[in-house]
Parts: sequence; structure tokens; C-alpha cells
Amino acid sequence: MDETTGSPAPDTTATAYASADVPAAQWTVGDDGLRLFTSRCTACDLRWFPTVDMCPSCASTVIAPDQAGPLGTAYASTVVRAGARGFRAPYVLSYVDVDGVRILTHVKSDSVLPPGTPVRLVAGEIGDPDVGTTSSYVAVVAQDAPVENAAGAKA
Amino acid sequence: MRPVYLVGAAVHPFGRQPEVSAAELGFRAVRTLVDELGVTPDQVDAGYAGSSYGGSLLAQRVFHRVGVSGQPVFTVENACASGGSAVHLGWQAVASGMASCVVAFGAENLTSLGGGTLPLTTADVEISQGVVMPATYAMRAQRYLHDHGAGVDDLSAVSVKNRRNGADNPRAHFQQAVDLERVSGSRPIADPLRLLHCCPSTDGAAAVLLCSEQVARDLGHPAVRMAASVVRSGRFHTQYRDMTWPGITAETSGAAYDMAGVGPLDLDVVELHDAFSIAELVHAEALGLAGRGGAAKAVRNGEFNREGRVAVNPSGGLLSRGHPVGATGVAQIAESYWQLTGQAGALQVPGASVALTHVTGGGIYGVDNGACSVHILVAD
Repeated sequence: MDETTGSPAPDTTATAYASADVPAAQWTVGDDGLRLFTSRCTACDLRWFPTVDMCPSCASTVIAPDQAGPLGTAYASTVVRAGARGFRAPYVLSYVDVDGVRILTHVKSDSVLPPGTPVRLVAGEIGDPDVGTTSSYVAVVAQDAPVENAAGAKA
Repeated sequence: MRPVYLVGAAVHPFGRQPEVSAAELGFRAVRTLVDELGVTPDQVDAGYAGSSYGGSLLAQRVFHRVGVSGQPVFTVENACASGGSAVHLGWQAVASGMASCVVAFGAENLTSLGGGTLPLTTADVEISQGVVMPATYAMRAQRYLHDHGAGVDDLSAVSVKNRRNGADNPRAHFQQAVDLERVSGSRPIADPLRLLHCCPSTDGAAAVLLCSEQVARDLGHPAVRMAASVVRSGRFHTQYRDMTWPGITAETSGAAYDMAGVGPLDLDVVELHDAFSIAELVHAEALGLAGRGGAAKAVRNGEFNREGRVAVNPSGGLLSRGHPVGATGVAQIAESYWQLTGQAGALQVPGASVALTHVTGGGIYGVDNGACSVHILVAD
């Protein structure tokens, strides 16, 4: 895996989920932001994130690799003030619609995003620094993330 | 399929009971049920337990204490629909003729898990982002308020109604009414949801007995017909979806209405899954109790009050009873049984003859919810 391609480290205590039988989120980072690796079913055209090797809708195994991002739109968001273990509240979460898939992602923001807010996906760290963070995709409000800064979004 | 009857119900009062295990809570509910009905162990053909955190062989650990051992018993896990799923499997057994008399219960101890939001332990791409159930419902709430021009007071009005109903329920975790100011001034949990928009973590258990028409006659207790019993799983996809429309509820209740031959306008009592105030609004609409975006207005106008056009959560709902995950679906059916047999006391909806119960839940990615269960009860 080259340095610009990521997935959460499987031994990260805060957010480990990438066991052998669970599809892990994977992405690649370019100059203009982060692109998620997705799957497109060639039979029914549905998009999947994380990737699949059999379509969960029509069971076709003819799956094309695809990518989504870096630009998307907030569907809904919240400031979490009573959070999950391994995370330090408050933190902002949003559902983001990006090239045919909807993902749940952290947002680099202090407040909720109104529905419809344009966002850019970038690389970042999530999790409570005292417990251990992990690399992830995160969203930033698109106007706050000029293209030239999008890849290095560790603010 | 043959008709299935519900002839008795018991609830071990819901509340904080961290020292009482799920098995002990379940035993207390089942023991009360069989004592009140005078059912002997040899009359019970099968047993079903619903629980998410109660552990392996919960059914055996409860049923053998009331003399039911040797018979087939099952422990069912389906998140918030665990109890509804246990009742459904009992209904299947009686409807198919495999069994003539079954006991189903739900039991859960949550407060021993510690405070805060429920631990979501499933390996999952959203849980790894730090999602918790209040956050999921908060985002649905933000979008609902945005799409329908509603406000936070519309969410708070649900809490006020259900807490007012729960004040009359001796089995509820919270038995105190709250006003709008108290709700909107409570601690923020996940914007726009505040503490009193969320159901509490609760321990409790509930049990019901289902049987054939013949056994119902022999037992000689008030009976109601279980006119529909349906379970559905969430439809999985990762495309865009309308999160203000829980399709799983619409699909499950649609199948239940078809099975029972009734529609939303026939319902007198509805116990639905108000784990969060926003949940009552979106599920009421998906159940057909109000048009899209119309549930907020229905709550404000008193249409869902106990004396309104359809009583929604007359027992106080999850917001008052609390939500011992696996017990909730069975408790809703117990509360509805008492409504339809005129035994609901201060909670009684006058003349109630058709009731619907609805549980849905399970926070995993790619679905509205993991599982949903709907039951329709009719007093013939």
C-alpha cells in the first residue's frame, strides 16, 4: 500500500473493525482531496461503499471497481455531545452523499452543517487523542478547503 | 394458518435494577404470568426469549425455573425487535399447528452495562466513525425539521405527551409528567436532540401467553386475537435514501395490515417505537397514522392523545417506560392486551378494540434499521 492510500489500522483500539470478514473502508488521497474506493454492480448499476465482491442487491459477482469523491453534499448532520467510547465529544458527524453512495463521516467543524452544504472529503485523524486516533476520511466545508490545501487537511 | 389468541400478559416493572440479572427479571415476569393463568408446565409446548444483552440460553435459564424443561425453547436476538421477534416465532408455532400453547418473554438488564449511550459492538463502517443511536436519530431529526418546516418544539411535544401518559403507568421507568420548558432545557445529547428527547436505559421484562382457540377457551381468561404478526429485516443498500421515511416500518406494517384485514384508520391504540421523540413522528407517518410531515401537527393538535382520534403510546412509550431492548416489544403487546380487555386502569382508552404494536431497531450501516416487528391485536 503506497503512502497516499489508506485504511484504518486493524490494531487501532479506538475504531478497529477491519477483521477478515468485514469489508473495510479504503481510499486514496490526491491533490484535490480524498477518493473512496467503491464498487459498481455491472448488472444493476448500484454503488457500494465499502467495496463488495457480490452485489447485495442482485447477487451478481460482476463488480466493477469505482471511486467516489472528493466532492459531496451533506444530507444531515449533528453535533454529538454524548459520544461513543474512543471518541471525545463534542464531535460533528454528517451523512454525505458522494457520487452515488451515502457515507457517515466526521466533519472538521464546530457546528452542524445545514442539509445541502457542499463538502470536500480529505484525509484526517478521528478518535480521542488520549485513547488513540486512526486515519479516516473526513469532510470539510468545500469553501473552507481550497483545492491546493485539500490533501494535507490535518488542521 | 389457524387463529392465534393472546390470553395473558405480565410485566416486571421497568426501571433501574442493576443488581437484577436479565434472567431473574425474565423469571419474575414469566412466573407472574403462569401463576395468574394457572398454566401448568405440561401445557406449555414451547418457549421463546427475546434479548440483546441477556446472554446465551436465556430461555432455558428462565423456563426451567417454572418447570418448563425438555420442551423446545429459543433465545432470539434482533436488536430492538428481539421481543417482537420472540412473540412472532411463538405466533408462528401456534398458527401452524406445531404448538397449542407457548410463552414468549423479553428481558434485559441495561444499567449494569454502565451509563451513557448503548454500546454498539458490531464491527461496522459507521460504528467505527463513532456513531451512537442518538446521533443517528438526531440526523433524521435535523432532516425532518428541514424538509417539513417543523421546529424543535414539535419534537418536545412528543416527549411531553408520552411523559404525561407514562405518569399514569405504574410499570413505567419515568412516572412524572414534564412540560415543554423542561424538555427543551434538558442537557443536549446530539443536536437537535436533548436528554428528554431520548428514552432512558432501563431494566425490565415482560411475558405473554399465546395459544389456540381451544386452549384459550379452556384457560377461561380474557382473550384477544393476534390478527397479524410480522417481522422484516432492513433492506440493505449504500445509495442515497430518504431518512425521514423509515421504509422498514412501512413495509412491515403494510404486510401486517394486509394480514389482519384492517388499516390505520381502524386502530384505536398504537404502541410504537419512540426511542427518540423524532422516531414517533417518522414512524407514525410510515404506519399511515398521518401524512408525510403531518405527524408533528397531529401531536400538536392532540390527535395522538389518549382521548384523541388514535391513542399513540398511551402507556407512555419508550420515552416513559424506558427501553430494556428485548423486553420492549413484549411490553407493548402486554399493554395493548390490557387495553383491549378493559384492564388498563388509568391508561384505559375507552372502547379500544384494535391495537397495533411496533418495534424497530438495530444500528448497522446500509439499512433503516436491522429488524422491525409489527403486531395487530383485535378484540372480537
